[in-house]
Amino acid sequence: MNSGREVSDGRLTVEGFSVAARAFADKWKIHNQSFPPWSWVPLINRTLHLSNQEEGYLSLEEILILSSLEESPEDESLNVATDCLEKEESVDHTILVQNQENEAHYYDFHIVYSSSYKVPVLYFRGYCSGGQPLSLDVIKKDLPSCSVSLLHESKWTFITQEEHPYLNRPWFKLHPCGTEDWIKLLSQSSISTGCQMPVDLYLVSWFSVVGQVVGLRIPLEMLN
Amino acid sequence: MSEKETSPTILQFAPLNSSVDEGFWHSFSSLKLDKLGIDDSPIPITGFYGPCSHPQVSNHLTLLSESLPLDEQSSVASTSHGNRNKCPVPGILYNTNTLESFDKLDKQSLLKAEANKIWDDIQSGKALEDPAVLSRFLVISFADLKKWSFRYWFAFPALVLDPPASLVELKPASEYFSSEEAESVSAACNEWRNSDLTTDVPFFLVSVSSDSKASIRHLKDWEACQGDHHKLLFGFYDPCHLPNNPGWPLRNYLALIRARWSLETVWFFCYRESRGFADLNLSLVGQASVTLASGESAETVPNSVGWELNKGKRVPRSISLANSMDPTRLAVSAVDLNLKLMRWRALPSLDLNVLSSVKCLLLGAGTLGCQVARTLMGWGIRNITFVDYGKVAMSNPVRQSLYTFEDCVGGEFKAVAAVKSLKQIFPAMESSGVVMAIPMPGHPISSQEEDSVLADCKRLSELIESHDAVFLLTDTRESRWLPSLLCANANKIAINAALGFDSYMVMRHGAGPTSLSDDMQNLDMNKTNKQRLGCYFCNDVVAPQDSMTDRTLDQQCTVTRPGLAPIAGALAVELLVGVLQHPLGINAKGDNSSSSNGGNNDDSPLGILPHQIRSSVSQFSQITLLGQASNSCTACSETVISEYRERGNSFLLEAINHPTYLEDLTGLTELKKAANSFNLDWEDDDTDDEDVAVHM
Repeated sequence: MNSGREVSDGRLTVEGFSVAARAFADKWKIHNQSFPPWSWVPLINRTLHLSNQEEGYLSLEEILILSSLEESPEDESLNVATDCLEKEESVDHTILVQNQENEAHYYDFHIVYSSSYKVPVLYFRGYCSGGQPLSLDVIKKDLPSCSVSLLHESKWTFITQEEHPYLNRPWFKLHPCGTEDWIKLLSQSSISTGCQMPVDLYLVSWFSVVGQVVGLRIPLEMLN
Repeated sequence: MSEKETSPTILQFAPLNSSVDEGFWHSFSSLKLDKLGIDDSPIPITGFYGPCSHPQVSNHLTLLSESLPLDEQSSVASTSHGNRNKCPVPGILYNTNTLESFDKLDKQSLLKAEANKIWDDIQSGKALEDPAVLSRFLVISFADLKKWSFRYWFAFPALVLDPPASLVELKPASEYFSSEEAESVSAACNEWRNSDLTTDVPFFLVSVSSDSKASIRHLKDWEACQGDHHKLLFGFYDPCHLPNNPGWPLRNYLALIRARWSLETVWFFCYRESRGFADLNLSLVGQASVTLASGESAETVPNSVGWELNKGKRVPRSISLANSMDPTRLAVSAVDLNLKLMRWRALPSLDLNVLSSVKCLLLGAGTLGCQVARTLMGWGIRNITFVDYGKVAMSNPVRQSLYTFEDCVGGEFKAVAAVKSLKQIFPAMESSGVVMAIPMPGHPISSQEEDSVLADCKRLSELIESHDAVFLLTDTRESRWLPSLLCANANKIAINAALGFDSYMVMRHGAGPTSLSDDMQNLDMNKTNKQRLGCYFCNDVVAPQDSMTDRTLDQQCTVTRPGLAPIAGALAVELLVGVLQHPLGINAKGDNSSSSNGGNNDDSPLGILPHQIRSSVSQFSQITLLGQASNSCTACSETVISEYRERGNSFLLEAINHPTYLEDLTGLTELKKAANSFNLDWEDDDTDDEDVAVHM
């Protein structure tokens, strides 16, 4: 395994991932200011590592998408009386009565390193303002149409629901088994110095493909 | 006190909204299950909020998994102070153990108790030291940890001003400040927000000097700010985005200001952001007019309001997290994912729906039955019925993979123990067991037993009718006869597996004789029979070269090399899956491993679909065989099936009681007599209808 500055087989070491992640986050901050920046979440090492490598993942949270009212979150049919506060005092005029607004959907994205596939993996989830998780059907409605068609046509992209490796809850993820192959294709076609890709650019190149599936585009300047 | 009809209007506050992250419920469930048990004393929790960050959407007061008292298990570093979007706010959680006690909670007094705490903090000065306590909140909940659903209700206690405050004016901050002042205010706010020490302090003073220099100060510095300013505003992080209303935190803020400093006119600053920076267009500056009621002592606690509305109604909220927390559902989606991955990566044309809906009947729950069941589960097949009349014996668990030592000691019936075992492996299995013996031909019964034996026949017939695929996994030849006949009659897929000491045979029966269309039945019977693959009993006549092999398998053989049952059982399942995936299903023709011209390769994504597989582990060899159906078959021939259909029970009784009845009926007796009178030179005999192709 190449622990140096280049990636030639489409895969990353865990150290390479840390380096690539910081480079990616920095470039994003500079070139992609329409979005909040990615933050690095370090993991508490439970085992003793000889190297002082910090393991962690990249996190981009609370991306807001306003959707129309038709998809109101499923509230359990509450078999309760229409007014549970009989002893409450009469209506307080200082409280503004609000109309039902557009439903806000929030999305969290994590870029996590997979040690079994040796590539990064994009995990994501959606939820409404009250905190209820969104199903994949609802999420697909929020995606731009080009993303949806990409999902259907491409053989490289496949959304699955699996347990988040650190948060112990089901998140959606783009399955990584094709990643190694198409990264190799990318590095062959773009870099002039043979088939190698500098580690710094790994996540940027990777995200230029993967981000499109979830509707996150990156500006071309980031690829330089 | 008369209300003026003209302005100023009553100050209306936008309610605060709650948001509970899924992680909070996960952490709370663990806490309840691991530590608290039935203890329902109130739990101190921390809520988080920040200023509004989007012009169209208000921010919420959020509960996260770190809202609960510290949990050592987390592998992710918990949020420390200094997170700009997570100002910590103290709260309290009352969780009840039943829905009834949830409904019976005295909401008024709970709200009052929290409001009292706020009032006390105002009176004592604590609110000046740590202003976040002004936004103290309360949650009541009922967590149903069997259904993974949570009912909850937030209250944001607000001290009611009597008479209510009125609004003199309200406008965007950019219109209130001069451009120089605005620039300075923005800069000061950004600095306040960027410092770890102050970013999570949600209430502050904005002091603007006469030369347009703004500074942000802590509330406790109020006295020090006097006289020093041109403008002094009471600033706070406002989660609300609305242009004409301030957010909820202003309510208790005004109560504080009135109580501590007795001001009648209050200039307030609703601080809101966008893209992480102060946004003075979105932020508001307003002037409120507060009446200092005379005769009111400091000890009189004002009334309080604050229960959160749910879509305008005064009812609690609820959320179901069964999909992400119920372990059975998680197991189901994990298993489904595995199968989908197989389809996506290797077999795009795999039909998973047919597998999840097929109903399998396993006759025999011994070494073969256990292996078949386990392999069926691996393919995502959920519906399995066992038929076996035996009990788990001491020698069984080592070879019969569904049983354990406890089953022997308890003297469990195999059919019952197998069902239990499947459920323990995968809770979503739909499995049942039938303790019943299979009636066998040539084993005469007394007249008293007739009724119960016929009842068993009927039961078996009903079981076969109600399933899609039948596995013949018993340990005698005779016990396979009735199931073979019934499967041929009902045209059900039958997979047969049999073990010798060091050999095994796995085969699929052909379609039943009446499965052919009427048109075809008008044709020469000889020809049409050639279309059907044979069953286990067709071999009796059809493959004379293999009679030695057959006899070995036919003997009641309880001693076999242990490796065989897993292999044969697994092959039996792979054969079934091949049939299910084939467009012609039970009518698929048989392939051999040597067939090169297409065969079933083109039709089935899984490869060839043989008729019979035979193997000898002493040679580590395996061959595929092909046998057509026989006209004289005692189980599946036209003769026998029509006789069964015409005479039903009397036919069955004759077959059971008279050892030679079936062979007489089918003409086998005749045939054997004729065969014995010839020299054994089968090649020349072309009156044979029972042509068979045997490929090695």
